[in-house]
Amino acid sequence: MIDQLGPILDLIKAIFTFLGAFIYFIFAAVIVKQVKSMSKIVQDKFNTILIIFSYLHLLFALLLLVISLLLLLT
Amino acid sequence: MPRAPDLDTIAPDDPVVVVSAKPKKTTIKKTPSSPDSRDQKFRQKVYQLIKGATKHSLSSFLARPKVFTFDFRDDDEEIILVLRRHWFTNIPWIFVATIMLFSPLLVPATSILDFFPTEYQLILAIFWYLLTFAIAFEKFLAWYFNVFILTEERVIDIDFFNLLDKKLSEAKISMIQDVTSKTVGVSQTLFNYGAIFIQTASEIPVIVIDRIPNPNLVLQVLQQMRSEEEQEALEGRLR
Repeated sequence: MIDQLGPILDLIKAIFTFLGAFIYFIFAAVIVKQVKSMSKIVQDKFNTILIIFSYLHLLFALLLLVISLLLLLT
Repeated sequence: MPRAPDLDTIAPDDPVVVVSAKPKKTTIKKTPSSPDSRDQKFRQKVYQLIKGATKHSLSSFLARPKVFTFDFRDDDEEIILVLRRHWFTNIPWIFVATIMLFSPLLVPATSILDFFPTEYQLILAIFWYLLTFAIAFEKFLAWYFNVFILTEERVIDIDFFNLLDKKLSEAKISMIQDVTSKTVGVSQTLFNYGAIFIQTASEIPVIVIDRIPNPNLVLQVLQQMRSEEEQEALEGRLR
């Protein structure tokens, strides 16, 4: 019985991981949008660096999403 | 008599006019009664007060910044001060972020991750570091973009409460009725930071600028700027 439940539990785990990664990716995209919007209102020397950081964060969130997707598919 | 070298443009017998390299400086002194000089008196006092303050972009107390600007600034509007929260108020989140950053080093000793397969351990590690970065980054953004700006004409308070909510308050200096500073507690007294309450006759009754450095100095600057505006109002030159 436990042997039969094993693959189903793995699938549920993978689905939840993918959903979590997807939500985090949306959050990272919101950060990028917000940094750009803030940078339009207040403009200073470091704004470009902050925008680059927000994009790097989005890139790593995408990496997390891809890994979780691979986990789901395998 | 010496002759001119450029004979095409100057008649041969014209005397050479030697123009000195440095023309004499002519200083036009304004009369003490001119309206500008009275304004300048207050402005010079303001410049004296903020003299020595840093112009670095990551400063909490930015005086007459060269690079800094904001969206709805008028073309010729001079920025006198840009204030952010005192650096000491950043210590709690820096502390939390540092602990979060180094806490995975303790994980192997506790064997918490032994329940998870290797691939999930990798995902957890990436997620943990991303979350640490996101928390620190969001706190930094909240510090960096929440600014109080004092220009020669108005005060502007820009507040970003979180990633989605923002508030912009603005009041003309001529509409300011009363300014109060408040310093409470040990850390505020020790590091010289506190709050400023600006009561205005405009739509927003009170603008509160919390935890800014040198509140007494800001108070003095605001007083001088108000005096300058009063002078302009008396002379009917209020913009």
